[in-house]
Order: sequence, then structure tokens, then C-alpha cells
Amino acid sequence: MTRYYLDVINGLGLARDQEGEEFPNLAAARDKAAQSIWSILSDELKSAGLINLQGRIEIADRQGSIVLTLPFREAVDIRHDDSSGQEDT
Amino acid sequence: MIEKYLMKLRARDEISHEEEQALRDAVGEVVHYPADHTFIVPGQRLNFSTLLLEGIVARYKDLSDGQRQITELHVAGDFADLHSFTLKHLDHSVMTLTPTKIVQVPHEKLKGITERHPHLARVLWFSTNLDAAIHREWEVSLGRRNAIQRTAHIFCELQVRLGIVGLASEQEYALPITQVELAECLGLTSVHVNRVLKDLRERGLVEFRGGRVTIADLAGLRRLAEFDPAYLYLDRQSR
Repeated sequence: MTRYYLDVINGLGLARDQEGEEFPNLAAARDKAAQSIWSILSDELKSAGLINLQGRIEIADRQGSIVLTLPFREAVDIRHDDSSGQEDT
Repeated sequence: MIEKYLMKLRARDEISHEEEQALRDAVGEVVHYPADHTFIVPGQRLNFSTLLLEGIVARYKDLSDGQRQITELHVAGDFADLHSFTLKHLDHSVMTLTPTKIVQVPHEKLKGITERHPHLARVLWFSTNLDAAIHREWEVSLGRRNAIQRTAHIFCELQVRLGIVGLASEQEYALPITQVELAECLGLTSVHVNRVLKDLRERGLVEFRGGRVTIADLAGLRRLAEFDPAYLYLDRQSR
């Protein structure tokens, strides 16, 4: 297990992870980062109707070196077209 | 030994000396558990209930994908599983989050109490009703409150519950659990909780750091959470 620190940088500034969390590998830490982005985005969407993809999570190791950066927009699958969900009549 | 439990009961009702003695006679030896120790698993046959003297304990359920939901936190003076007296086994696990001191109360002794002390039986019934009320409030939080309100709400709740047993003031209390465990109470990830904590700190309401909750503005925190302690039934009356 390796301890990684997941810092969030977005419109509210930097939220530094003081505590860290143990992960079996970096891929597992990336999964947790993606889930955290979904959690943050869904909370903003539900409480303010806002989808703000301007942010990122930086995964740092014990020494403080950033080993992976996950931008919010890379953590989500965005689909839209011009039909606004309306069927042509 | 069970002083905190008696404080909790006497906040809601009168307990006579005879009743106090009956409770004291029912408890077994003190047991120490380390942190992160699961001491009840679902389906396990139980012939005792666990009364918490010191530390913090969680009721929880795990999902197959590794997610964990903590459904209630218990503090000193709480029974972690009084409901196992009638249920005989549980549908959830119970674990320590901190080093913990407990006593086991054999179900046979609880049965004796319910038979010889009808008022104490009602007091025990009240306790499980109170747990149900806390569960309902968490349900509202998980279903309807947003992340910051939900986090503020749990800090408000624990301030009251720990305050009853003399472990919290209006300004601060010890909450030596991790951010991951707090997130498991709130249905969020620890990274999301970390960001919410920053928001709460910057709003000048509350800080959670190094296992301590420091409340800068209790009224403001309660307003944000829409916290109403009525569900904790703090009135002292005959049950």
C-alpha cells in the first residue's frame, strides 16, 4: 500500500489533503480522484445547477511530488447534441 | 464505570438509586479494543449488548465494490447495539474508530431488568427509539442535504451528543476519527469532504483538524445545517 495525497484545485482555490489515504497502486488513487470529482460536481449540480469543469485533482506522494494530475473534464464523459432531448415532430 | 451512561439517561429521565444499582449489577468486565476493530459482524449470534465507556464506535454496512456507509456513530455512554437484545443478531457490522473501552451487558441480565424494573425497561426502549430518531435524521441528510449542510449537521449533532456526557463545549470537542471515516458517515469521498471542510473553515463556522472540532460560530453552523436538536429528545420527563 502507498499513501497518496489528493489535493483539489478549483474555483474555491486549493484544498490540500493533510491526511492522505492508503491505496494499493496509483490507478486506485486515480479512481478515487475520479469518484471525488463526480461527487463534487454532482453536489454543485444538485444545489446550484452548476457544472464547473474548471478544476483538477493533483495526486502527490509522501514526498510531496505530484505523480498524477486529473483535470475535472477528463474525469467525465460529456455527451450533448442540438436536439435538447426533443424528438423531431 | 457507567457514569456517562447514567448522565445520558438522567438527561432524559429520573433514575432512582435502586435502578442505578440494577444497571451497575448488569455490566460485565471492562474490555479494551484497539482502533479499527470490528467486534460485531452481521448474522453473528449475540447474547450480550455492548455499552461504550470511552471512544467512538460506528455501525456500518459494506457494499461489494468496497464502498462503506457508516449509519450511526456512537459516543461514550451509548449502547452500540441495545437492539441486539431483541434482534439476537444484527444486519450490520459494528467497529471501533478509536481505541475504545467497553463493557458487555449480558442479554440475560437485560431480561432480568425488564422483568423486575418496568420503568428501566421503558428507558431502554426510549434508547432504541432515540437511535431510530438519529437514523431518520441521517437519512434526511443523506437524501436531501447538500454536502456542506450534511457535514455541518453531523458536527452539530455530535456537539450535542458529546455535550450531554460532558465531552463537548459550545466551542470544541475531540473527534479523533479520520477524514475517510467522516466521509463514510456522509456518503461522500474524503477528498470531497476535505474541500467542504475548507469551505466551512473559510466561512468562519467550524474547523476539523487533528481529531478536534473547533466551532467558531455555533449559531451560524446550526443555521447552515438547519439543525434542530428536537430529534435528540433533550427534555427530562417520566418515560
